[in-house]
Amino acid sequence: MKRSGIVFFPAFDWSLGDTHPEREERLLYTQEQLFEEGVMELPQVKQYSPGLASLHEVLRTQALFPHPDKHDLAAHLIAAGCAIVLGDAWAHNEIQNGFALVRPPGHHSGATVLGNRGFCTINNEAILINHLRTKYGIKKIAVVDTDVHHGDGTQDIFFHDPNVLFISLHQDGRTLYPGSGFTHEKGGPNAWDTTLNIPLPPGTGDEGIHYVLENWVLPRVRDFKPDLIINSAGQDNHFTDPLAAMNVTARGYGKITELIRPDLAVLEGGYSIETALPYVNLAIFLALAGEDYHQVIEPQKPQRQLLNFQELKRYIKELKINNKQANPHWTTREEKSLPGGKWAFIPHSVYYDTDGIQEIRQDRVRMCEHCGGTVLIESQNAYAGEKFALIRIPFNACKECRQAGEDLWGAFIGRKTSVLFQDQVHDSIQLWNVQEGVRNF
Amino acid sequence: MLLKEIQVGIDVGGTFTDAVLLEDNRIVEKAKIATQAENVLGTVLHALDELKVYHKVVTRITVSTTLITNAILQQRLPQVDLLLFPGSGMSLKALKWPVPYQVLKGELDYRGREVSSPDELEWRRLLNRYQEFPGSKVAIVGKFSHRNSLHEENLAFYLQKHCPDLEICLGHEWGQANFYRRSLTTYLNLACEEVYQTFAHQLQQAVFQKGSSAKIHVLKADGGVVPLQTLRPVESIYSGPAASILGALAQTNTGPDFDSETDQSFVVVDIGGTTTDIGLILSGEPLMSAYGAKIGDFSTLVRTLAVRSIAAGGDSTILSEGDGFRIETYRRGPAYCLGGPAPTPTDAMCYLNLIPFGDRLKAEQGLVQLLPECKRDSFNLERLSNEILARFADNIAQAIESIIREWREEPAYKVWEVLHPHEEQNMFIEVSGGGAPGLVKALSMRLNSPVKIGDFPEVSNAIGAALARPTFSCTLHLDTFMKRYQIEETGLQGEWLGSRKPHKEIEEFLREIAEKSARDQGIELKKPKIQPFDYFPIVKGYQTVGQIIQGSLIVSPGVRGRLKS
Repeated sequence: MKRSGIVFFPAFDWSLGDTHPEREERLLYTQEQLFEEGVMELPQVKQYSPGLASLHEVLRTQALFPHPDKHDLAAHLIAAGCAIVLGDAWAHNEIQNGFALVRPPGHHSGATVLGNRGFCTINNEAILINHLRTKYGIKKIAVVDTDVHHGDGTQDIFFHDPNVLFISLHQDGRTLYPGSGFTHEKGGPNAWDTTLNIPLPPGTGDEGIHYVLENWVLPRVRDFKPDLIINSAGQDNHFTDPLAAMNVTARGYGKITELIRPDLAVLEGGYSIETALPYVNLAIFLALAGEDYHQVIEPQKPQRQLLNFQELKRYIKELKINNKQANPHWTTREEKSLPGGKWAFIPHSVYYDTDGIQEIRQDRVRMCEHCGGTVLIESQNAYAGEKFALIRIPFNACKECRQAGEDLWGAFIGRKTSVLFQDQVHDSIQLWNVQEGVRNF
Repeated sequence: MLLKEIQVGIDVGGTFTDAVLLEDNRIVEKAKIATQAENVLGTVLHALDELKVYHKVVTRITVSTTLITNAILQQRLPQVDLLLFPGSGMSLKALKWPVPYQVLKGELDYRGREVSSPDELEWRRLLNRYQEFPGSKVAIVGKFSHRNSLHEENLAFYLQKHCPDLEICLGHEWGQANFYRRSLTTYLNLACEEVYQTFAHQLQQAVFQKGSSAKIHVLKADGGVVPLQTLRPVESIYSGPAASILGALAQTNTGPDFDSETDQSFVVVDIGGTTTDIGLILSGEPLMSAYGAKIGDFSTLVRTLAVRSIAAGGDSTILSEGDGFRIETYRRGPAYCLGGPAPTPTDAMCYLNLIPFGDRLKAEQGLVQLLPECKRDSFNLERLSNEILARFADNIAQAIESIIREWREEPAYKVWEVLHPHEEQNMFIEVSGGGAPGLVKALSMRLNSPVKIGDFPEVSNAIGAALARPTFSCTLHLDTFMKRYQIEETGLQGEWLGSRKPHKEIEEFLREIAEKSARDQGIELKKPKIQPFDYFPIVKGYQTVGQIIQGSLIVSPGVRGRLKS
């Protein structure tokens, strides 16, 4: 039995469109199931009321361009706010673990935000993590993303952060959105090997995913010695998911939760709203609360074929080798326009499927042996042409990197449509744009 | 000439029973008598005599009693067999069941679709048992039966066909989600039926025999009244605290217009003999609890006002402890100043001249026992008395803070609700109960807000009972794809023949059901409010194929006009 907190926020008056998967109905049957089972009656369970994240909380972690006002944020701020409510309860030791059973999701939303992608506008877990680091000085955090899609947004936000271990298990990006999350994506130069991607083949199933957790993910988490473990608990690995094909059951999810033992779990995707969500959510929460989840049985039975377990083991073995052998893929150069030191240069692009935006990104991080390194991200909306910049002085930044960040901020004001300065050391967030000049958030 | 409206209110409390007779909202008679714990009926009849009820043409008698509360807490209930269809899901053992149950096969899902059917063999075995005990009481409850009563109804029909004397109750009649609470509520209600019916019948007879044609009503936990005959017994638990909240509401000053509704927000503190009840009135309406009532080990679906009860009252025994004192949770008798055996908070009030009753010399004799011999002087007696009241006030203040927190932290499931949170309100405190005047100062010091006191604090609960209005609630859950609807409060279930995406007509549909249900319960619907409907489009393959619609018609708790002085 574990003291467990839950925030249930189904956003019953909000959707991304009438027939959109992210609609009012999504958690309705989950509510029916949880309330009828009486999980809130469990003596160890405490239900918390939703919160509302401030823009300061959001901008500390993500740059919303051209301006936060240009995004429709209300529901997203509540989802992030709910995660924070549970985070605070955890930090105050009111609960041993918690489940933010909220929509909309967040794990496809990255360091820069030009719009909604994969139904996500802001990243609930990342905002939660940086809140807990700022407010309570939590040092090391592990994120295990068990959504069937690659948690590319979370990866993007913590790619250069040596104190956040990000592990994503997902269906191989060659067969599923967002098409990333390969074994060679292992983190930036100052955070090498703190990103781990495990792309799994369709048909992996309960046994397969538990094997991967026990033999790869959990040892990595243990070695990292995190102060906090977060589970991005997407539910689209379920065997009834219409898009993915991972063949995991509700009980399989219960075991996943039991194995990861997250301090905080946050709902991500999962759109099989009738046949999966009511059961998977129940199993996850029972597992968190230390109750028996083996009686959670969906009415349907798996139809798809399971991958042969021995074959899967061989596949994982190969993945491990690929992961080990993967080499850094950035170029380093000294640029006259940048403050002193070596800067790694990583250009890439991001597609916002919901809003149809193509973002061209030029990421730079100051190579540093003492800290995560100051980050400069130049972003451009490929169609509209607007240009933006994010300058981030990371938590625990060394003196040189702090100076580099200050210098960049001074230099970039006026050169873009908008520029965001995230000073995570001093928890100071400033946004410059043409209309408003500099504004503190 | 218009006939005068004569209203009688009786609140049978743990220690005392308060009673009032009002004529057009003006107090004409009042009485306070000792409660005979083992004879609630006798106590009520005694109170009616004291009020000289039989000399007047009384319109309505409203009774608030501890009959059912005590029957449950003292475990004087007959045996009920609890038969469950729990299906799969959370283990039954995860929650504490205060009564035994038997598990049967058969499962429904959250939309009331059958997942697996019941087992005929199991039913036959049950039948064999009941043929041996044909007068048994049987509660049958299924998980998701509030969405489909099929399994419950079929089993009841099957058993009753062969054993017509079985007394059977079905869970779906308590149609809110929560299988665990539904099971225990169904169980309790059936278990209380006999003791309640006996009381109701005898009371009706006694009043009738004395020549009164007054309608007899009963007060419920949610502050509403229903005719004696249509009450579901378990709903009468905790009517005492409801009476005190309504009593305070009836005594709020709204200026010259006694029929107008108050829009004030305040905290009600009712100080009884051994318990103090605290409730909240927000913009003139008593706050309902977001959860069902809990009584003893039973969590129920009974709708109740949000109330905090603390185990301290004017008669609570005070013992010395080390250098100080402790306020106990029990009563050994009246206060020392009223001839009782031990010092109490009432003695502190009496010693400080805060209340108009009690023998001050005796109060002093009682209180002095709590002081060491070297400190038995007037300075220390005064300090002790103030400390006792300050501690009492502090207990109350903590309960007030807790109830306000509950209100602020109610769960919210919509964006709109989170963006429009409950606003801070300037609240005053209204105290009632015999010891009310004694706590005004201590409470206002501790809470830093104004503390008021009604004109009749000693019979405030009876006033609340006399003036209570019916409450009503009818919540519709309609699934146009499944073509089925259910009503939470009564468990009514039916087939929907209308459109898949209804709009305006849904309000009329709900209104018709509500009006019929109110008629059946003998309730007059006064100023019903329809709350905005929630619409959930049901989508299959990018097509909207139906809707789930939820909405309710309610009459909030309140009083029939103000008390006139």
